[in-house]
Amino acid sequence: MFASFVQGPLVRVIPLGLVLLALQRTIFVEIQVGGVIIQIMMAMAAAAGVAGGSERGAIVGFVFGVMFDLAEGTPLGSTATAMTLAGAVGGLLALIAADPHWWLEAIFTSLGTAVGVVMIPVTRAFIGEPAPFQGELGIVVVVAAASAAVMSPLLVPLGRWCLRMRRPEWKQPIDEPVQ
Amino acid sequence: MAIYSVGRKRVILALLLTTALLLTLDLRGNAVIDAGRDGFTQVMRPVETATGVVTNPIERMWKGITDYDDLEEENLALQEQVDRLIGTQAAAEAAVIEGQELQALYSLPSLSGIDTEVARVVGAAANNLDQVIEINKGSSSGIAVGMAVVNQAGLVGKVTQVTRTTARVMLVTDSRYSVAVKVTSSSGLDDLVPTNTSPSGLTPSEIEAARTTTTTVPALPGPVIPGVTLPGGSPVPDTTLPGAAVGADGEPILDPATGERLTAEQIAGLNELAAQEAAASTSTTSTTLPGGPGVDSTPATTTTTTIAEVIEKEYGALEGRGRLRLPQIKFVQDSPSLSELVVGDLVETAGGSESLAPTGIPVGRVVNRADRPGSGGPLLDVELYADLGRLNFVRVVLYKPLSEVDQ
Repeated sequence: MFASFVQGPLVRVIPLGLVLLALQRTIFVEIQVGGVIIQIMMAMAAAAGVAGGSERGAIVGFVFGVMFDLAEGTPLGSTATAMTLAGAVGGLLALIAADPHWWLEAIFTSLGTAVGVVMIPVTRAFIGEPAPFQGELGIVVVVAAASAAVMSPLLVPLGRWCLRMRRPEWKQPIDEPVQ
Repeated sequence: MAIYSVGRKRVILALLLTTALLLTLDLRGNAVIDAGRDGFTQVMRPVETATGVVTNPIERMWKGITDYDDLEEENLALQEQVDRLIGTQAAAEAAVIEGQELQALYSLPSLSGIDTEVARVVGAAANNLDQVIEINKGSSSGIAVGMAVVNQAGLVGKVTQVTRTTARVMLVTDSRYSVAVKVTSSSGLDDLVPTNTSPSGLTPSEIEAARTTTTTVPALPGPVIPGVTLPGGSPVPDTTLPGAAVGADGEPILDPATGERLTAEQIAGLNELAAQEAAASTSTTSTTLPGGPGVDSTPATTTTTTIAEVIEKEYGALEGRGRLRLPQIKFVQDSPSLSELVVGDLVETAGGSESLAPTGIPVGRVVNRADRPGSGGPLLDVELYADLGRLNFVRVVLYKPLSEVDQ
């Protein structure tokens, strides 16, 4: 059991989550784009989905979301739901292309992030919070998705590293000479 | 590349069900989750501190690039504001001291009698939905959930979570925030009352005249203490034992706080305080009426007193509406026959035995009024005095409502 834990992705996912959470709560609170806080943990969850598929993306999103809720004091599971879906959606979109270019990965990451950001007020509405849908939600979604796309060339390889995955290598078949 | 399968879908569903379970447990209150939250906060603290140290130069560089022009303009504006405030500071301090003396004299509730705890803002919400800040004082400093938080300008929010050394403060702009407030009118706003808002058809001048009362006080016979008058303006007769003063009814004047007899000098001091306060809110004129046929020729003093212009208009609930929208007051009912709720009215906390915020904390000023059809009453948008985007130090009002004092 211990061996499976050490060899599993959580050994890398949890420390990475701690660092990203610290970044999210310090520098990304100060550096806002148009008054919107960039959601790096959400983007990382979506990027992990793009890199490792919907299942692994959902696991990474769940772990990150629980950590975020514990640190932020938000209802435990509310952000975890959104980040789980962000990772799952990122992974599902990545099925479109077998070996996507970097710009396709950026698009998939941004779409996964957008779904996750929209899911936060949806979850809050389900648990009965008053008026979770605010007027600036559209701006928040656009800025969060755009920033996730910009960061995806860094986040997708980081996702592969923490999931212990390698980028698939496709070799061109060698034509055998016809004799 | 990942391949989609039924097994993967099961994993995702299991994770989503787990989040739903966690949500249910947390919302119902669970000691294990609370302990886990506290433990995780302790684990995160050194990581955050180290990250803050490392990223601090980047933050400063970013702010230097993006905020320099705004900072320069703001600096000029603030310098002008400081120059203007210095001129009024001395008068304001004197007024505050006089107000506190009067409140203490009449045993009125005052914010100055409530202890506060100064705290530094050490963090803010890391998402785009919640309007929450974190401060560096907690239960070890006497802070408890529900206490109001203010700064020098006015109300900032309320404490929602407390650990031993930190606390989270929900800002007034958070959509979950609500507090009981009262709307008062400020001096000089009466000109804003529109003519067509009076159901009685009175014009503003007639309304003003209706708010004026006239009382006639007969002149007192005999000698009086020169230069000394009662709070109503009538002179004090000099028929008392040395060192003690009596009222117009001949009874000694007692200190309302201690019950002891007041001397003429003490009354003179009180009159001076009362006159300074009255000068801010009332205008008094004195005239001598001539005696008519069959009327005693003793001259009479007529005192015309205008009712104080600061009046409590209405009570309501102030609710936050998010970062970009102004808080709004609901549940107010316009009573044009008494007073009109207008732009510029002042808003402060209402207090009460159940309220977590004591009465009299300044909140803001009404900047917009939206009328609703039916009996819903108007909605009032409130511009806050406190700049919630620039909070560095705040004060937690260590106040418990009367209903919780004995608990």
